Amino acid sequence: MKLKTILAAAAASSVAMGALAHSGATGIVLERMQAMSAMSEAVKKVTPIMRGEADYDADTVRAAAQTFEEHSGTAMTELFPRDNANEKSYAKPAIWEDWEEFERLAVRLETLSQGLAQAADNGLSADKAETDTGAMMGGGTSAMMGGTSSEVSMEELAQMPADDVFAEISQSCSSCHTRFRAERD
Amino acid sequence: MRKLILSAVALAAAGIAGVGVVVAWPIKNPVDAIEMTGDAQRGAYLARAGGCIACHTNWDGGGKPLAGGAPLVTEFGTFYPPNLTTSKGAGIGNWTAEQFAAALRQGVSPEGDPYYPAFPYPFYANLSDQDIADLWAAFQTVPAVDEPAPANDVSFPYDQRWGLKLWRAAYMFPPSTRPVEGKSDEWNRGRQLVEGVTHCAACHTGRNFAGGRKLEEKFRGFDGLPGGGRSPAITPEALREGGWSVSDLAYALKTGIMPDGDAFGGSMGEVVTYGTSFMSDADREAMAIYLLNEDETQ
Repeated sequence: MKLKTILAAAAASSVAMGALAHSGATGIVLERMQAMSAMSEAVKKVTPIMRGEADYDADTVRAAAQTFEEHSGTAMTELFPRDNANEKSYAKPAIWEDWEEFERLAVRLETLSQGLAQAADNGLSADKAETDTGAMMGGGTSAMMGGTSSEVSMEELAQMPADDVFAEISQSCSSCHTRFRAERD
Repeated sequence: MRKLILSAVALAAAGIAGVGVVVAWPIKNPVDAIEMTGDAQRGAYLARAGGCIACHTNWDGGGKPLAGGAPLVTEFGTFYPPNLTTSKGAGIGNWTAEQFAAALRQGVSPEGDPYYPAFPYPFYANLSDQDIADLWAAFQTVPAVDEPAPANDVSFPYDQRWGLKLWRAAYMFPPSTRPVEGKSDEWNRGRQLVEGVTHCAACHTGRNFAGGRKLEEKFRGFDGLPGGGRSPAITPEALREGGWSVSDLAYALKTGIMPDGDAFGGSMGEVVTYGTSFMSDADREAMAIYLLNEDETQ
């Protein structure tokens, strides 16, 4: 069973690498795609755990957190040099037009990844039935109606159930893709 | 020759008279007084699920909540989602709950003008009076922003609002949100959300030359979204072929994570970030059950 899983993972990542090789990307664009690919592989590994569909394993969660951290913060932003803005890729020019926001999201991913590593031993949230979104977002109706809610701090992240931290991570992926990644052809 | 001119004149006159009739055609149906007390928290939930907050806030531009959204660039022109804050001059601070109900459920402004279908009001037609009261209560909590959104930049002939009355007659389909007997409560709840307030079909269904939805292409995806975006097919067959399970789909609506480990970008990323991520697990699962048409009672 374990061997099968390893083989499947190896096959999946070689398919991903194959797809990258065929995209014709080279240099830093290829490096970016490899970094993103490494993160999506990690996402795939922990998602069944976070959904409660696979047995909880803190080591797997920590390993994923480490992968995210390795590719976040400056490791992420360094892959998007300004002189690279015109190169053909899925990166939108908005990255360089709104560098501050891009950097903020990259750093946020780093914080959240460290938070996930610390929260790995917390397991999943006990009650999946009802999420009080108002309270979760740091405010009542005001936050729910779009008002600003303060970012969850590292101390708070470390106390949170791992699946809630992971949900924050995935939402940060999605926010960044929404603003800064062009849609696929 | 004279006969020909006469008939041309007659035709033109009939045309003008026809337009006159359309211009004068009242489209607003009476609204019963919204008298119940609204639950602002429940209304805010609907405003998230319905995309009010996503679309009427210029997130990328750092805009205040509901003070007017990022422009929607379409082949008909550029639409600016209006300011929905409590500002009396720039927002909806002067409206009554009944005017709010007519705007949402009928797509008609307090002045009696039809809204452009960039506003997906046809999907809100079956909102209950309680839903409206809750939404109205939630909108009262939004701080006023006194700067109006820019006017829509729409060229002729689409700037002729009376033409929208013809559009309504042709393409304003009632949403199929009513429960189906013999289906589970979850499936029916999913149907109510998907077909109604969360308006999935607004982007995932092809539109014709007039921006009307092609019902025969429901949920088959569309390449002509505002700003040049495209949406994939979300029929049960297409979803299954793409490897989506109910659990995958419900989780994607919460987190943006897709079965291949990627995370949504594009307008679906906005839908999740500002909308469905605020919904309950139960509602997201219901939507997934309905979209994949996987009903245990079948």
